[in-house]
Amino acid sequence: MAEPDFASRCNSHRSYLLRVAMLQLRDGDLAEDVVQDTLLAALQGATGFSGRSSLKTWLTGILKHKIVDAIRRKAREPAFATLEEECQLDDFDALFDDSGHWENPPAEWGDPEAQLAREQFFDIVQFCLEKLPPNTARVFMMREVMELTSDEICKELTITSTNLWVILYRARLALRECLQQNWFAQTGHGG
Amino acid sequence: MITCKEASRALSQMQDGELSYPLYLRIRLHLLLCDACTHFAQQLRFLHRAMQHYRQ
Repeated sequence: MAEPDFASRCNSHRSYLLRVAMLQLRDGDLAEDVVQDTLLAALQGATGFSGRSSLKTWLTGILKHKIVDAIRRKAREPAFATLEEECQLDDFDALFDDSGHWENPPAEWGDPEAQLAREQFFDIVQFCLEKLPPNTARVFMMREVMELTSDEICKELTITSTNLWVILYRARLALRECLQQNWFAQTGHGG
Repeated sequence: MITCKEASRALSQMQDGELSYPLYLRIRLHLLLCDACTHFAQQLRFLHRAMQHYRQ
């Protein structure tokens, strides 16, 4: 494999990697650093790329480790303490009435699978992820995009599994609401 | 009968693979009787698939 060609192929995924890192880290400089590290590690370890998975998947795998390292370092900083504050469930009381029923019962989303082929749908997903509180988004991405297990996330962030479930529940409720309002409730999106 | 609020929380927890068997049975029962939570459960699974797609 020609070295310069491999480098430019890796580089072509740069903006995607940056978008993922930015969503996870919410810090432009740190995201740049992490992506730079990832591309460097990819070039140094080019022989480790077997071609069995796509280059993008392989790079995402490296990025995942770099992001977890960065989050682990960040978790030691005082600013990250707000994770506990984001564990409060009270905000979602508004979604349910006093007897625990839905205020606005979730309706069917028509044919949601068809949305997965639409680029605009993922613009809305991105918009909704950006609206989440930073730590909530970070934890949700670790679980759903990076696919770490609950145990791994709890260990990395030194939180209890109960706290983790509350954060993930919160993220899913908020994303569902946001997609409902900004996509499925709109005409022509089947909802 | 558990409430929708409790059911929705347990349904989210199920995505992470953690639910006691008695609670699981109560959720199944709730879903038989509740369309809103059935939709919510489908939407959580869709959200998971959407995030996998998003990563590609």
